[in-house]
Amino acid sequence: MAAVKETVETVGEIEKYKYGFFTDIESEKAPLGLTEDTVRFISAKKDEPEWLLEWRLAAFRRWQTMTEPTWAKVTYPPIDFQDAYYYSAPKQTVKLDSLDQVDPKLLETYEKLGIPLTEQKMLAGVAVDAVFDSVSVVTTFKEKLAEAGVIFCPMSEAVKKHPELVKKYLGSVVPSSDNFYATLNSAVFSEGSFVYIPEGVRCPMELSTYFRINEKQTGQFERTLIIADKGSYVSYLEGCTAPQRDENQLHAAVVELIAHDDAEIKYSTVQNWFPGDEEGKGGVYNFVTKRGDCRGENSKISWTQVETGSAITWKYPSCILRGDNSRGEFYSIAISNGRQQVDSGTKMIHLGRNTTSRIVSKGISAGRSSNTYRGLVSVHRKAENVRNFTQCDSLLIGDRCSAHTVPYIETKNPTAILEHEATTSKIGDDQLFYCMQRGIGEEEAVALIVNGFCRDVLQQLPMEFAVEAQKLVGISLEGSVG
Amino acid sequence: MLEIRNLHVTVGGKEILKGIDLDIRAGEVHAIMGPNGSGKSTLSYVLAGRDGYVVTEGSIRFKGKDLLEMNVDERAAAGVFLAFQYPLEIPGVTTMTFLKTALNAQRRARGEEELDAVRFLKLVREKSRPLNVSDDMLKRSLNVGYSGGEKKRAEVLQMSLLEPVLAVLDETDSGLDIDALKTVAEGVNALRSPERAMVVITHYQRLLDYIVPDVVHVLSQGRIVKTGGKDLALELEKSGYAEYGADAA
Amino acid sequence: MSEKATQHFIEVYEETRAALPGAGGWLARRREAAIGSFREAGLPHRRMEEWKYTDLRRTFEKASFGPAPVHEGAVVLPERRSASAFAAIDRHVLVFVNGRYRDDLSRAGHLPKGVELHALDDVLHEQWAKDLVERRFDDARQAENIVDLNTALMSDGACLRIRKGVKLDKPLHLLFVAQDAGASHTRNLVLLENEAEATIFETHIGEVASFVDVVTDIVIGDGARLNHVKLQDEAPDAVHLATMRARLAAEAKLSSFTLTLGCGVSRGQSFVLFSGEGAEASIDGAYALRNRQHADQFCVIDHAVPACTSHTLFKGVLDGESEGVFQGKVIVRPHAQKSDGRQMTHALLLSRDAAMNAKPELEIYADDVQCAHGSTVGELSKEAVFYLRSRGIPEAEARRLLVLAFLEEALDLAPHNQAKDALKLLVSEWFGEAAP
Repeated sequence: MAAVKETVETVGEIEKYKYGFFTDIESEKAPLGLTEDTVRFISAKKDEPEWLLEWRLAAFRRWQTMTEPTWAKVTYPPIDFQDAYYYSAPKQTVKLDSLDQVDPKLLETYEKLGIPLTEQKMLAGVAVDAVFDSVSVVTTFKEKLAEAGVIFCPMSEAVKKHPELVKKYLGSVVPSSDNFYATLNSAVFSEGSFVYIPEGVRCPMELSTYFRINEKQTGQFERTLIIADKGSYVSYLEGCTAPQRDENQLHAAVVELIAHDDAEIKYSTVQNWFPGDEEGKGGVYNFVTKRGDCRGENSKISWTQVETGSAITWKYPSCILRGDNSRGEFYSIAISNGRQQVDSGTKMIHLGRNTTSRIVSKGISAGRSSNTYRGLVSVHRKAENVRNFTQCDSLLIGDRCSAHTVPYIETKNPTAILEHEATTSKIGDDQLFYCMQRGIGEEEAVALIVNGFCRDVLQQLPMEFAVEAQKLVGISLEGSVG
Repeated sequence: MLEIRNLHVTVGGKEILKGIDLDIRAGEVHAIMGPNGSGKSTLSYVLAGRDGYVVTEGSIRFKGKDLLEMNVDERAAAGVFLAFQYPLEIPGVTTMTFLKTALNAQRRARGEEELDAVRFLKLVREKSRPLNVSDDMLKRSLNVGYSGGEKKRAEVLQMSLLEPVLAVLDETDSGLDIDALKTVAEGVNALRSPERAMVVITHYQRLLDYIVPDVVHVLSQGRIVKTGGKDLALELEKSGYAEYGADAA
Repeated sequence: MSEKATQHFIEVYEETRAALPGAGGWLARRREAAIGSFREAGLPHRRMEEWKYTDLRRTFEKASFGPAPVHEGAVVLPERRSASAFAAIDRHVLVFVNGRYRDDLSRAGHLPKGVELHALDDVLHEQWAKDLVERRFDDARQAENIVDLNTALMSDGACLRIRKGVKLDKPLHLLFVAQDAGASHTRNLVLLENEAEATIFETHIGEVASFVDVVTDIVIGDGARLNHVKLQDEAPDAVHLATMRARLAAEAKLSSFTLTLGCGVSRGQSFVLFSGEGAEASIDGAYALRNRQHADQFCVIDHAVPACTSHTLFKGVLDGESEGVFQGKVIVRPHAQKSDGRQMTHALLLSRDAAMNAKPELEIYADDVQCAHGSTVGELSKEAVFYLRSRGIPEAEARRLLVLAFLEEALDLAPHNQAKDALKLLVSEWFGEAAP
């Protein structure tokens, strides 16, 4: 339809980013730049034990010898890692015992984001950990979780209260030397969530963390660690937003998941960092390492992501299928508009016998954006009877965007059955006409068709998130049709 | 209700409609018959407002307003409904979701209150039953994997739910066996009312046995060459279109 | 200082350049530039994305190839069926031994008017030959760079030019025999002017430790059509490196099919560039590998203009400790609307120790296109084997039938009926051979 052609002329409307506000709150920062002293400063601020400081310093020294990866299909000016703050915390002198003591401005911020932190207002059945710049502000429903034996707390608290668990698992899935950004994170990570589900426990509610970058020129380096002990289950949701700023903000998180025998972890993300303006100015650089280890037999890890934000996304939530009969899943919707660049996908590493994996990736490109799926399915020699199915679909809206598919399929075992399918399509003029003939406006029709395109993935999200994600699909594509 | 005056339409630079005049009043059912390539489908697309169909001359007024000034969804909200010859498939969007989105978009455009899930569901069930549209069909993706008959029944269901003022049925009989044809025709007949007009576009007389028209027009080479009562259709069945300057195809 | 294996080829160049065709002319300068680029880039290795699964540097560290000698005496064709696969087909034959044209063994009879067929040395003064040699595609630079080695060292080749509207009366068969151990570098040039038509067979056979490096540069004019059937079956200690670069003008058609029975390490690269609307390319192949064979099929199709169609299907069976690779890329450039690109790769692993790597890529910059790729890897269906056995067919025979059925879909794409039948027969016999 002609309207689609004009699309691109008018992509401008992305300033509808409604999370672009900034909270004026006094904060305490590490000195600008990154040196060993910065690492010591962060560690001291967190009152960390010696072993963790040493771990950070080892990572920092290694990081200094590494270079940024360049293989992804993204381009951006060189990042000056010395021109950023690596630690920023809202100034708060007293230790918090309850919500009443939280700075009202912070509570207000989260209200604005649609995440009320006061428990009486909470959605039933979702416990929230809110991370503001480098520190966790509050974690709700702690007591109820404690009854079930579930540990859900900020990483800094876990280091103090459960050092044996942290020591045992931290870096066991993503080693501190894994890659440039993961190593940087290991040196300077400041906050994140820690979850431990004890043997046989089905976590009584959804756990959720909301990440918010507020301060300018500040990187966010959270580190999340989730351990599901034998026979346990947890569903974890992660949401992210940031103020609208002219300069780029760096986000380099590491997420490690460990599933023991018969355990299941479901990890859902709705990532809506500021994508930059229509000219590509500003926006978050999202360089994230997420990896799950199906360590035990019959374990299962499922990643679901809805990626709509960030100027640059570099992210490959992966599964190491070590335990026999374990299962990995990756469901992804990646929407790019304006000048966003997405290079995202997954790795399914099949090591154990009878391991299975499923990948469903839906990429939608609009405006002048670039959207790449990059994925690896690898079957090791001893992995018998592996099954993988990969479906990778791209939808292009307008003729100035691009979509790429880069799958790697490697097998060394004949009993594996690996299937990969990919398609590229556009929204048909006739489909649009049909919807509009039934009285549906053009933007709504596009959102409807795109939501249909994404349905297989949306269905994987927990209910509350699914509704939010569907709306987000519509909002992200606003202005993509004339 | 609908006044078409001296309508000339080109598609891809080629003139397809060469001066159509047509008046349709509320409550009437008009059949437009004609050989392949005579411009029947073009007329339906122009009424619905499809891109690429360029009106070079003439006017269309609908309920006193200039229809050509309105875009596709505005026309739909004003009450123009086109039952497609080849209904489109929209993967991942269930028929139920589609119906709700369309109905509420039209209600919104008309300044009416949107239906909530409960009232909507009740309404759909009520409209689906006589058309033999099962719950299972409603839960499937719109038109995806539907048989020819299912697609046409779904079109009639949409019409029945959206309650248009002017319904244009483009070759609704194509690809239907006789039982499916009867079901569809019954659905259409149930929608006949003094407030509603219908335009039934067809190549064959067969459909008009079941949906009996008030007026029959013969379209040939972009012009209406003959207008008559329902008997005209029977006549055409016998003699074919040859005398109207076309192959009897 | 480049590493040893790269340095070896540079030394060969220094020693032989005076004797190579085109000395003193434009080609000598071109060779000089090419060896410079080769020195800079070095032999490709696995840390280069496009050589991830085939490390030529390692290959040549393990086995070094001096230049193959000029062979002037009698030639005994290897006792393999591949050598005579196309023998029953009425065709023109050009024979190359150790990479050099042997007029005494060739049989190119009377060619129709408008068909010009020469050895490389004889066309170097012609502009079209120069254009073809100098042309670069640049859409998979790391893969194409290896052509520099060929440009620097090429010693001979078949050069076919067909004038406007002329049809080659029967297939032209290029038969390459590696008679003595060593490296040969061959450059074939093919120019089909508008509306011209030709069918080319290409066979590579040998039972010696050879390194066969062949580059075929092709231009297909408006509405012209080229059919190409290639068969490669060389020794376990041989290395085969083939690059085909084809540019297609409007409404041109290219159908290229390769059957790889392999050698030690083989890599077949195809680059297709559409430069006129409405062109069609079908780049397909089948491979059957065993023992420690390694075969890499690399294919880039560049939809640089609108409304072209491309089709790629590679199917292979891997036995023993063999390793198969498929890397494909379909590029649709901005504004290349109405492009249709399909790319499929399927592999069957017949043994515990075989391995397969596939990387089918799409790179799309236009919205009104139809592109798809698919890849499957697996073993023979146990149910199917069981079913056949339950009907009294012995297991070995059942497996053979199923494998042949699997490869048949690809073999059917070979663009010449008799050649297709010959290839099917070869594959069926390949399976009959007992693996040592």
